[in-house]
Amino acid sequence: MIKDENMIASPIVVEMKHLSKSFENNTVLVDINLVIHKGENIVILGKSGTGKSVLIKCIVGLLDPDGGTLALFGQDINELKEKELFELRKRIGFLFQSSALYDSMTVRENLEFPLRRQLHKLPKEELSQMINEALINVGLKEAIDKSPSELSGGMCKRLGLARTLILKPEIMLYDEPTTGLDPITSKEISHLILEVQKKYNTTSIIITHDIKCASLTADRIILLKDGICAAEGSYKELENSPNEWVHSFFE
Amino acid sequence: MTENKTNISINNTEGDPERGVTSIFQNFFVEISSLTVFILRFFKEAIKPPYEINEILKQSFLVGYKSLPLVGITGFIIGLVLTIQSRPTLAKFGAESWLPAMVAVSIIREIGPAITALIFAGKVGSGIGAELASMNVTEQINAMQVSGTNPFKFLVVTRVLSATLMLPILVILSDAIGLLGSFFAINLKGSVSASLFFSQIFQGTEFNDLIPATIKTFFFGFAIGIIGCYKGYYSNKGTEGVGKAANSAVVIASLMVFIIDMIAVQITSLFQS
Repeated sequence: MIKDENMIASPIVVEMKHLSKSFENNTVLVDINLVIHKGENIVILGKSGTGKSVLIKCIVGLLDPDGGTLALFGQDINELKEKELFELRKRIGFLFQSSALYDSMTVRENLEFPLRRQLHKLPKEELSQMINEALINVGLKEAIDKSPSELSGGMCKRLGLARTLILKPEIMLYDEPTTGLDPITSKEISHLILEVQKKYNTTSIIITHDIKCASLTADRIILLKDGICAAEGSYKELENSPNEWVHSFFE
Repeated sequence: MTENKTNISINNTEGDPERGVTSIFQNFFVEISSLTVFILRFFKEAIKPPYEINEILKQSFLVGYKSLPLVGITGFIIGLVLTIQSRPTLAKFGAESWLPAMVAVSIIREIGPAITALIFAGKVGSGIGAELASMNVTEQINAMQVSGTNPFKFLVVTRVLSATLMLPILVILSDAIGLLGSFFAINLKGSVSASLFFSQIFQGTEFNDLIPATIKTFFFGFAIGIIGCYKGYYSNKGTEGVGKAANSAVVIASLMVFIIDMIAVQITSLFQS
């Protein structure tokens, strides 16, 4: 099921057992069991409202699961203290659906913010170098002094990606990275995700509705239905699935 | 682990007046308990290092310096209007010479702090509420949290401290500008020298007028800051929530200014008697 069989030998970075989450009377996740290895690219597919975003928000600790266990790098995040959770989050990057850029800051300041917070005594020259490098990586060198409101949707996504990657996280969580973008920009973002994975050996979890993005980036695809992992496999395996519901995603 | 507002669901009580009243009370007490938890968390986070000194200075500049023109103009107009309105009444009793002292006491004790706090609630309270609510809607607060920054400390503690520290300074400046307005108004009809005007003010006022009035402005500032932050930080319902947060921040903060003022007057009169 995993594209590269060697991946099974790599350490487990995310492990969920019987994970569940409800909002008042609405049960979103029922029983999620998932193991993700280092360097894997996992795509999570599913209809709207099946709890894909809830799942990755649980991973990063923005939402508390109601039941089950969730371990990151072998640490059960439910048992972590607030300070330990903040430390753990430094190893995780999260690209939000809306990019979540700080709109009171320029492009440079958006990139400076996580660096100054995490690497307190970084010399100015090194800081500038890291910012320039991050912007070159996503092709936004010219936009350095612009504000986020002056950028297009695709540029915002790339800046969001640059801001997340600047701290070189070990796990990257992408919440619908290509939503609202034209096909060319979507393809660019998908290639960027792949480049990141190759360059930094990052583990990626990608939530998307974009089948093209899934076909380009996925080592393994998880299909969510009614709060459980309904199907799992490589893109080709699921595309050729005899199950009509699974197959319908790839038409 | 996550930051959730105290959340108790209230059932739909349409068509049942008794349950409707109950739910209003329930909502009220839920809101009070949630705000209390928020205030306690503020003190906990404010005491705990590291301290966000740079952000406090930046916010102080934004809430203090940038409010100065509005507060200054308002203070000047209040001084001017109060003098013009009071003059005929004092003239009737032949007490026109008391005008500077009377205006000074009114401005320093009550009008300066209350009007400045209301202006501050309108400008800063709504600004904080709208800013944090829009950051919430666009997931900027979540982004801060996942990047390993404590958003409560960075956004809430800094803004509340800035509001608490800046309002007393603005009130003192507003009082001074208000007295200048009064001096200007007195000189519209007749001629009074600046030295005579200010010596009459100093003769008619005491430290007891200034100190309690200044102390209460710290509480005004704190209330405006904490309510703006609370409404913004826990806003929901998307972009509609941004408007609601700004609106309710101003309304509740203004109400709190009057409640604190009432309590402050009672306490001051206790000490003075």
